Amino acid sequence: MIVKFEKGQNSSDGVRAFLKKLLEDGMADAVLTACLSPHSPLPMPTLVTDKAMLDRAAPLLPVSPFNNARMASRVLADGVGKRIAVVMRPCEVRALIELAKLSQCTLDPAILISMDCFGRMENDDYLEEYAKSGEVAPGLPASLGDRSALCTSCRACTRFLPENVDVVLALAGETDPTGVLLASGSPKGETLLKSLASPSAELPEGRREAVARIMAERQVGLKELTEAAALRIGDMTAFQETIANCLNCYNCRRACPVCYCKECVFATDVFAHRPEILMGRAAKKGAVKIPTDTTMFHLTRMAHMAHACVGCGQCSSVCPSHIPVADLFITVAQRVQDHYGYVPGQDPGRPWPFLIREDDNHEA
Amino acid sequence: MQSFEPKIIALVCNWCTYTAADLAGTSRLAYPANVRLVRVMCTGMVDAKYVIKAFLDGADGVFVGGCHPGDCHYINGNLKAERRLSGLQVILAQFGIDSRCFSLKWIGASEGHEFQKNMARFTETVRELGPQMESDLVIL
Repeated sequence: MIVKFEKGQNSSDGVRAFLKKLLEDGMADAVLTACLSPHSPLPMPTLVTDKAMLDRAAPLLPVSPFNNARMASRVLADGVGKRIAVVMRPCEVRALIELAKLSQCTLDPAILISMDCFGRMENDDYLEEYAKSGEVAPGLPASLGDRSALCTSCRACTRFLPENVDVVLALAGETDPTGVLLASGSPKGETLLKSLASPSAELPEGRREAVARIMAERQVGLKELTEAAALRIGDMTAFQETIANCLNCYNCRRACPVCYCKECVFATDVFAHRPEILMGRAAKKGAVKIPTDTTMFHLTRMAHMAHACVGCGQCSSVCPSHIPVADLFITVAQRVQDHYGYVPGQDPGRPWPFLIREDDNHEA
Repeated sequence: MQSFEPKIIALVCNWCTYTAADLAGTSRLAYPANVRLVRVMCTGMVDAKYVIKAFLDGADGVFVGGCHPGDCHYINGNLKAERRLSGLQVILAQFGIDSRCFSLKWIGASEGHEFQKNMARFTETVRELGPQMESDLVIL
């Protein structure tokens, strides 16, 4: 089911009005969405219960300082008996589904809303753009016609259409600026859209073409990215060069929505080596770099979550040494996901490839 | 040229492969001294980081030996190991570590001969493939 929600001058106004309507009519008790604060043009994930506060909602801005799945999994950790509308990018939805599979959140109380995603800019680029223009663009900055304005992983993202959501904000190919097109993606979404009593609509004519154009660009981007990254790992020496400037800050781990451990082994005593261990290691090879275990960290993290990597690129965005962490992960993950025949976020009913069920038999 | 003697770490399950190694010993079945055994309670506890650590610290091959499917002392730890480690093999291969240098085999407690044969075969494979880690990677 597709309806046209006609409010305001553009899709952003339309989305805001739609979210307000959800609170107003009691269809949701709260909305989790990116909102602007009075202090910065950078939108932050915000849990909103007062519809007046939704004037600040800005889920369509081309920037995303977090992968919102982590934040959403907090709000949805266990059913609080409230219905929560969550507005997220497709990659964030994929990550949230992976977390739900690990029982780190429950999707039952959630109304998942996602959009055709045109990608995000790096925070710094976005803020610079804002400083130049002096106002927050309601939709996308003009420069976004240029693919290079996007962050690397978004340029290589071929899964920019929402999957497994209740409501899709159909933006691709939309030219009519008097509201937003809402498409239902589930029975829950359909019931919800029916109750809006908005005029039903068709997807815009240009949509197919717009999606095909973005897809073609992204596929080229993905090929470029994986080819370049493969050279950066190829063998251990190449990999050492790639991560040589790593500071062991573990920002990538914190930013990763599917780095799922509640307590990371790299933050425990296992890797807080005692002096005699460090002396022993130094003695073995003549020298030891401190902090230790940099290669170990990256490889272990890969082994733990490459099968679930959703390619959001936040790990690269937060790296103070500008290591293309996401490029490496996306490249490695491709092979690992092929190996397991597993596509993260695609099928909520499909368990993690590591998990063994009662009826599992040995696979030859 | 001096022949290359590989270092091999074998992570073996207490309930089967370790017992098989014990049996090989008491039966006086010799196996290559390149193999260093590490006993674990179940292959299901072999996290990727143990294998990665072994390679980074200079092992040329890593062998994981567990119970035959259906025989796991903890019901299905061996299957968990198989799932998890097969993905690790794919990852390591992309970093230039030959997937043949990392092997998971099922060896039951009574299979002393099997243990000996596997160790000899694996050592030979690893020897032919040569060192897996550049020796100048001193500090990592």
